[in-house]
Amino acid sequence: MSAAGMMMAGGTLPGMLAQGIAAHRGWIALALAALVLLALAPLYLSPFHVRVAQLFLLSAALAIAWSLLGGFAGYWSFGHTAFIGLGAFVAGLVETGWTWPSPALAFAVGLLAGALACALLAGLIAYPILRLRGIYFAIAMLGVAQVLGELNNSIDAFKGTMGIVLPQLAPRAVEPATFYYYLLLVAAAVTLAIGFAVKVSRLGYGLLSIREDEDTARMLGVPTERYKIQTFVLSAVLTGVLGIIYAHSLGFITAGSVYRTDFSLNMIVYALLGGMGTLIGPVIGAGIMVVLTQIVLGRLLDTHMFITGALLVILVMLAPRGIVGFVKPILARWRGGFR
Amino acid sequence: MTLILQTIVDGLVLGGLYSLAAIGFSLIFGVMNVVNLSHGIIVLIGSYLSYILWRTLGIDPLLSIPLVMVALFGFGYVYQRGLIQLAVDRSSLLASMLVTFGVALMLRNVLVLIFSPDFKSITPSWAFNFFVIGPITVDLVRISALAASLVLLCLLALVLGYTHMGRVIRATAQQDLAARLCGVNARHVYGLTFGVSAAFAGASGAILGIVLPFSPPDEAHWTINAFVVVTLGGVGSPSGALIGGLLLGLISTATSQAIGPAFPNAMMFLILVIMLLVRPAGLLGNAFSGSR
Repeated sequence: MSAAGMMMAGGTLPGMLAQGIAAHRGWIALALAALVLLALAPLYLSPFHVRVAQLFLLSAALAIAWSLLGGFAGYWSFGHTAFIGLGAFVAGLVETGWTWPSPALAFAVGLLAGALACALLAGLIAYPILRLRGIYFAIAMLGVAQVLGELNNSIDAFKGTMGIVLPQLAPRAVEPATFYYYLLLVAAAVTLAIGFAVKVSRLGYGLLSIREDEDTARMLGVPTERYKIQTFVLSAVLTGVLGIIYAHSLGFITAGSVYRTDFSLNMIVYALLGGMGTLIGPVIGAGIMVVLTQIVLGRLLDTHMFITGALLVILVMLAPRGIVGFVKPILARWRGGFR
Repeated sequence: MTLILQTIVDGLVLGGLYSLAAIGFSLIFGVMNVVNLSHGIIVLIGSYLSYILWRTLGIDPLLSIPLVMVALFGFGYVYQRGLIQLAVDRSSLLASMLVTFGVALMLRNVLVLIFSPDFKSITPSWAFNFFVIGPITVDLVRISALAASLVLLCLLALVLGYTHMGRVIRATAQQDLAARLCGVNARHVYGLTFGVSAAFAGASGAILGIVLPFSPPDEAHWTINAFVVVTLGGVGSPSGALIGGLLLGLISTATSQAIGPAFPNAMMFLILVIMLLVRPAGLLGNAFSGSR
């Protein structure tokens, strides 16, 4: 059904969700199969490959969270690492600032506080900053991330330079790497599910209309301002939660280890490599880049940066609409040939 | 009082350098809306070229500026025609930004491999002379850096204002369709603009080499500085870059003096974000359409 048709059918959220699930049965089956395969992965992978898979899950989930705003609405944030850092540090300060009866409770409170802080920051800056478009929005977000990172680093109360040692969550019996692998798997699955819900709901179609032509969408009665703010806050909270889990998997964080420009950048690269505005795109992109950088290029430390840069250039030149955009026409032609 | 005066003088010297380093970025942004994230690395290539000329041939860094400019003009022209234009055609402006970022990563890696990540500096024989005006001390190096920056900025303003090439560049910036209808070869002009931009970035690199030590990872700093200068002053004009650069120089020296040496960057970005929100066209207000 076309976007306009969907909008008109435009029932309630459960209605649209049911419709969306029915329309994407194949994809959902594929996602569930992948979930089962990934859940069994630690049984047959070596510890090193479990770490790589953990990084893949984190990267894919971050790229999806970024995509909600960047891919669907076309608002490319260059500073999403602000939320990773903010979430991680608020959670860390809350968890270490008081004594909690159990690490699990501490983590729950930290998670809540971190997510809340991200929502608060995003809600606060959303209205002014989402008035900027294109490159100006991108750079303003870069600025927000830099200011936050620098303040966190230079104000002693936030322990950005000293660092925070986070409580260990993994029970004694479980290998920490495996524990965080499953935690990230759950987080990634939830992020993907939320992404799917956004995509097939009214909000998702509204975001697409904003990407295509914001002024026209607004003129036609799409509440662009509200949709953008909601999505920005949602994306920030998801990014923050992932950042908190990542911080715990590190065990010790400084401002430098969570406010990282390469995080912000990687989210964009993964989404762009896979295919902007799709849900499978960020996952494919993260998969390819993580395998390439961790396994193939792991030994080439001297020229690592050069090859990453060259890949970036080649990628934009050869497949400007990502792998999904590259494969889709081929698939369509292939299917057409058999009809 | 002396402290304030000294801060202002230091700020202005730094600001002159910022202005010159940012003008190329501003031109490219104004003429073709491309955000060139490899700008900082071009500045550093200028520094390293001037460093090589000084070490091997003993050429004074100020005299090596023209050589550096010619070399980087060629580089900029080829870079634009060979890569950036293709990326803009095949993809989007935002994606072309990723291409320039990729190039910055590659060149940074190359610089590290050739020159090592250690800090280098250029110290000509006159580097340690200074003079005193009343209570203020000024090094010869800094004052000559400021003078060279101002001379080059004036030169660029003259080129843009009164030569054929300058007129064509300005016309393309205002309305590329109309310029093309009048017989301007827009792609050639884009190439020229990129060449001019790279040449001035290189010149600022050569000057920067005598004032501050430099190393390849600094490039991000220079790119971001250029962006802030452009947002402060307004896009596409030498006067905008001059005002933005001087302001930025004053702000960063005043912040590290008054609040603490860790804060100039945070202050810089705070001002950047506020400026984007309040007055996205910059102080001089050369209107640019894409911001909202």
